[in-house]
Amino acid sequence: MSFAFQIPESIEPIPKLRSKNGLLQWISTVDHKLIGIMYLWTSLIFLVIGFGEAMLMRIQLMRPENTVLSPQAYNQIFTMHGTTMIFLVLTPILIGFATYLLPLMIGANDMAYPRLNAFSFWMFFFGGLLLYLSFFAGGAPNVGWFSYAPLSEKFYSSSPGVNYWAISILLMGIGTIGSALNFVVTTLTMRAEGLSLSKLPLFVWMVFVNGFLILAAFPVLNAGLVMILIDRLLNAHFFTTATGGSALMWQHVFWTFGHPEVYILALPAFGMISEVIPVFSRKPIFGYEFVAASTVAIALLAFGVWAHHMFAVGLGTTFNAFFAATSMLIAVPTGVKIFNWCATMWGGSIMFKTSMLFAMAFLIDFTIGGLSGVGFAMVPIDWRLTDTYFVVAHIHYVFVGGALSAAFAGFYYWFPKMSGKMLSEKLGKLQFWLFFIGFNCTFFVFHLLGLLGMPRRVFTYPNLPYWGSLNMFSTIGAMVLGLSFVVLIWNIFYTIKHGEPAGNNPWNAWTLEWLSASPPKPKNFEKVPLIRSRRPLWDLNHPDNPDWKPELKPEASDE
Amino acid sequence: MNKNKILMFLFIGSEAFFFIALIISYVYYSRVGGSLSASAKYLDYKKTSIFTLFLILSSLSIELSGRSLKKGNRKLMLGWLLTTILFGAVFLFGQGSEYARLISLNVTISKNVFGSAFFTLTGFHGLHVFIGLVVLSLMAGLFYSGKFKKIEAGFFESASLYWHFVDAVWIVVFSVIYLGPIL
Amino acid sequence: MFNAVSHFFSQLFASYSPEAYEINNLFLDYLVLAGIIVALVTGLVIVGAIRFRSKKRPEEPPQIFGNKKLEITWTLIPFLILVFFFVLTLRAMIEINTPVGNDPKPDIIIIAHQWWWDMRYPGYKIITANELHIPVGKKLLMAVKSADVIHDWWVPDLGRKIDAIPGRTNYTWIEADSAGTYLGTCAEFCGAEHAWMRIKVIAQTPYEFNQWVNNQKQIPSQPNDSTAILGQMLFQKETCGDCHAIAGTPANAHVGPDLTHIASRTTILSGRLTNTRENLMSWLANPQKVKPGAHMPDFRFNKNQLNELVTYLEGLK
Repeated sequence: MSFAFQIPESIEPIPKLRSKNGLLQWISTVDHKLIGIMYLWTSLIFLVIGFGEAMLMRIQLMRPENTVLSPQAYNQIFTMHGTTMIFLVLTPILIGFATYLLPLMIGANDMAYPRLNAFSFWMFFFGGLLLYLSFFAGGAPNVGWFSYAPLSEKFYSSSPGVNYWAISILLMGIGTIGSALNFVVTTLTMRAEGLSLSKLPLFVWMVFVNGFLILAAFPVLNAGLVMILIDRLLNAHFFTTATGGSALMWQHVFWTFGHPEVYILALPAFGMISEVIPVFSRKPIFGYEFVAASTVAIALLAFGVWAHHMFAVGLGTTFNAFFAATSMLIAVPTGVKIFNWCATMWGGSIMFKTSMLFAMAFLIDFTIGGLSGVGFAMVPIDWRLTDTYFVVAHIHYVFVGGALSAAFAGFYYWFPKMSGKMLSEKLGKLQFWLFFIGFNCTFFVFHLLGLLGMPRRVFTYPNLPYWGSLNMFSTIGAMVLGLSFVVLIWNIFYTIKHGEPAGNNPWNAWTLEWLSASPPKPKNFEKVPLIRSRRPLWDLNHPDNPDWKPELKPEASDE
Repeated sequence: MNKNKILMFLFIGSEAFFFIALIISYVYYSRVGGSLSASAKYLDYKKTSIFTLFLILSSLSIELSGRSLKKGNRKLMLGWLLTTILFGAVFLFGQGSEYARLISLNVTISKNVFGSAFFTLTGFHGLHVFIGLVVLSLMAGLFYSGKFKKIEAGFFESASLYWHFVDAVWIVVFSVIYLGPIL
Repeated sequence: MFNAVSHFFSQLFASYSPEAYEINNLFLDYLVLAGIIVALVTGLVIVGAIRFRSKKRPEEPPQIFGNKKLEITWTLIPFLILVFFFVLTLRAMIEINTPVGNDPKPDIIIIAHQWWWDMRYPGYKIITANELHIPVGKKLLMAVKSADVIHDWWVPDLGRKIDAIPGRTNYTWIEADSAGTYLGTCAEFCGAEHAWMRIKVIAQTPYEFNQWVNNQKQIPSQPNDSTAILGQMLFQKETCGDCHAIAGTPANAHVGPDLTHIASRTTILSGRLTNTRENLMSWLANPQKVKPGAHMPDFRFNKNQLNELVTYLEGLK
């Protein structure tokens, strides 16, 4: 019996959904570009949902002893907010960009394993759907995005929410591992001729190193998830303290994943910044080797710091001191990158495109977030501020002010390549200012609330001095932030309809993806030139002054 | 290096972290949970050692199969491959009978921390063996039915690598669970 | 305006115990460094952006690839600064974490529950809940445990926070420099009513503290008032003693807070409401309305029964 149905070859870069077989082309695609776009659309939808959850929380918290949400409802919402933003927004945005850009930036025509690539996306997609099904199946998970035991055990959490949480993260995690496998193998085996590892664009380098982090960290998460599932579904005793289990085992296993996870979310963001700032400063990244080497240092150290999430557990001075040392140490490779990026701007010719504005906001906000993080490494400071709104400030400064800002920088930078159209700079700048002001107003006051004694994960709070007014201020800030997302979505749809054509290289950038068409044809490249430096397009446009002739370069100044 | 081989190295490296996490938790639970004595009391060392031997021999047989493939000896390659599958199945059967015996003694996954840790660790290993057997069987079946004129060396090497990994994990798990209390 | 701000910040970092002092000192030292770095980076970004804006620059500025000396310097200097702060950190940790020894004899035992705090003084043989009285100027050893899930004992003015973990006993020191009331709360998400698991520490002069201890040691006298007597009978009949304890009566369970001297407490429900007749009545009338999720059953008392019970409880000073 022959299977006569044939899936049509893709002849247009971006199949229109309404066209004949359009939907089928999208669902069945193994083309990394279409898969990347699907990641981005899905993460946008979850961003809106996750922000909705945040807005509900902010409305409940804007006044002391507010009664908009019951504690049971609030606890589901804050848990879903965290889980959504980390696993269904930040992760797929970064994986989506990497999936789209990696082959293009190394001169390849697709990933090493296109079908594994598609599989990874659909695992993520259905995992996310399953997580949200929990709302209709007896209750969403309600014990926080890191589900400490024994609260997460069946005895204390009888709704099926935690089961949905664990199973959906398992599914999504399998997808992420698949993506990581593709990133590493593709980078190792499909680079264009002449493109040695030391010439990789920094975004590719970061995604490549990130791949190893994912491959090492996610399986540890999986081990924890199967243990809690087996506890809950098969009445085992891993974390049931009443019957010999260990509450701390969960924390150790989870954070061994959890800490590398935050670097998994940060490294691709660093990579995007490392691409955007040079292009809009019109000079190469300052200190490529240091930036690349510090990335490897971060990846190695990432597995040695996890217990800084456990300083309040009471594990003893020696134990705490070790993790304080490693946690402070890891700040060095993370922090010095900021100086490299500033030095890239210095002496350049700065173009204030929306992408660059987001990159500059990243530098400031990520520094604030990173510094509050180093504060936590100093154990006694942690003893005051952990589990308070100060830590909520920290995580949002690094995740939103940091990674999300970087993602927006990358979005404005690469959208023309992906769609062939230029996003409106006017709307972009409006989005930027609403975002920057809204974000900082929402989250800066959290530092103060934490210092004032407000714990995290509370559905309400007593009417103590300044708590009400600071929370109200934050809620108003959140509304401004929400407006920025409206402008973003408006910009996207407006541009799809009326955007100016972009051309191959609207930014006059220097890496290989700008050689292809915008959007790239289904087959990315017919021919790729021999790569001789880190900026192949600079070399092509400057045959008398290419990067691979360093003797022609001015001396690095001491400024 | 062949991209399939790199993929398999990365994949088994990743799975190694999964097993390391489960092994460390088993060691913790058996020492702190005080169930070292439980393992000595309930586990059948002799039978499990025999089944372990079969798994180790299956690694040998898949190596021989690979060599025959390289030499182009189709019959021998298939023969050693089927031997591997048979030995793997014997291991799984042995594991299953050990489980049945333990459950009949009321040592279940929900009895205590020892039961939870033991069945989880050995269970996931068994699952990986089973998946390996499925892959090897598919490979053998496709080759036997002539669908592949020749098995691409990369494919066979990758599958073989996975099989060796599954065996290596068992050696560690066996040492930790069965030999650990004795030593 | 400046006064208000400086007052605000001095309040934020006011220390009422030696441990809190160490923590706040370390934080302030670090805040200075962090402030400098934020100002530096912000300055570099803004000044750099303005000074090197493309309008005022050549289209292709000098293509500088890096400067190894500079990069090594700006790696080494932060590293050395962090080493310095690590030493400060270690010092503060050791100051705060005075060792407890092999056979610690705690002055206070805290057992955290969903969503209240059991507080015991083994030396005085007193059991109370949610409001801890301590004498000023004495360094007391607290054992911190949990009866169910992970909680966290946190009174910011008086020192570090420490987890209450089921299956494990943690130890911490508590000491107040001056008399006063210090507010705290549970700082580890523990379920539905985590937000209302508040703590009050009342530091008293030695004289007042002894008075409080003596009062707590007393067994409450039998009620005189007829309503209160009915309340007492109701308390025993309605199986309240299956969860609560009142010294001098058969009720001796510690599933819920000890009620022997409930009328002497300023708040009820672990800080959720002030301890008034109305509030007690509203709680007993409909627990889920007042503290949804709480493990207290709804006995569907009628108005008379509520009146009797509350009159009885009010007498338990």
